[in-house]
Amino acid sequence: MNGQMKNKQQIEQEIDKTLESLDGIQRAIANPYLFTRIKARLQKQDKSFWERATGLIARPVFAIATILLIIVINLTLFFQSQGGQTPAATGQEGEQLFASEYNLSGSTIYDATVEPQ
Amino acid sequence: MDEQFLIEKLKQGDEAAFKQIVETWKDMVYNTAIGILQNEEDAEDVTQEVFVQVFESVGSFKAEAKFSTWLYRITVSKALDHLRRKKRKKRFAYIQSLFGANNETIIEKPDFHHPGVVLDNKERSAVLFKAIDRLPENQKIAFTLHKLEGLSYQEVSEVMKTSVSSVESLMHRAKINLKRTLSGHYENRD
Repeated sequence: MNGQMKNKQQIEQEIDKTLESLDGIQRAIANPYLFTRIKARLQKQDKSFWERATGLIARPVFAIATILLIIVINLTLFFQSQGGQTPAATGQEGEQLFASEYNLSGSTIYDATVEPQ
Repeated sequence: MDEQFLIEKLKQGDEAAFKQIVETWKDMVYNTAIGILQNEEDAEDVTQEVFVQVFESVGSFKAEAKFSTWLYRITVSKALDHLRRKKRKKRFAYIQSLFGANNETIIEKPDFHHPGVVLDNKERSAVLFKAIDRLPENQKIAFTLHKLEGLSYQEVSEVMKTSVSSVESLMHRAKINLKRTLSGHYENRD
């Protein structure tokens, strides 16, 4: 029992000492050539704008996303054209519309040759 | 040179002003980043990213907040992004290893020794940093800014855009969690 108490006390002492281990800590010093490196980084960023742009386009994720987008647009247009057909564009009326559009409704040579029985 | 004058000059794209700003605040940014990331290379990388962002977005800086507060905010946000990216990669590598797609062994994070710690406290502080690393993000940020950067609760609250009482609560919970983790560490050691 006494040993356990002592052990617990020792652990608490260790914890307190560890928590105090950062007291009086000095600031970590940055690299003396930091500014040169930052400058190089900024220059690299300026230069490689087009490299980064092409790199982004060439990424598989971008390519897959583009393909998916094209498929979605195609499907949307397909279903829209299916569902949105007007009655005027179907059947006989459609043919008439087509004929009038291409000036086929007037008398033709065939009309002229047909004689009434 | 006056801080406000430097910022105005930087807004005009003055390189000398930018250099002066980097030289003045680089240790502050680096020390904050290293405290959060616990890795020297990552901290250097994030420090560079912070100043690149400062250069690119100084136009959006409004004099309502202190420049150092703005810098701390950028640093904390960049460091957290870096940590999340790293964790995501680690998780992905772990999943890959489960399916046998990745044969690389996942290396356990080595002990972190902060370069500013006194030699006598090196081992203890490594244990403490390991415990800090396990804290929830907000508690970790509050603890790091207060203990490593020596910011007051008021200053920490300005950086974290929260109230002083919230910072007090975060610090209280952080200490409880640290004690719990350390207790586990020392109990298992004995």
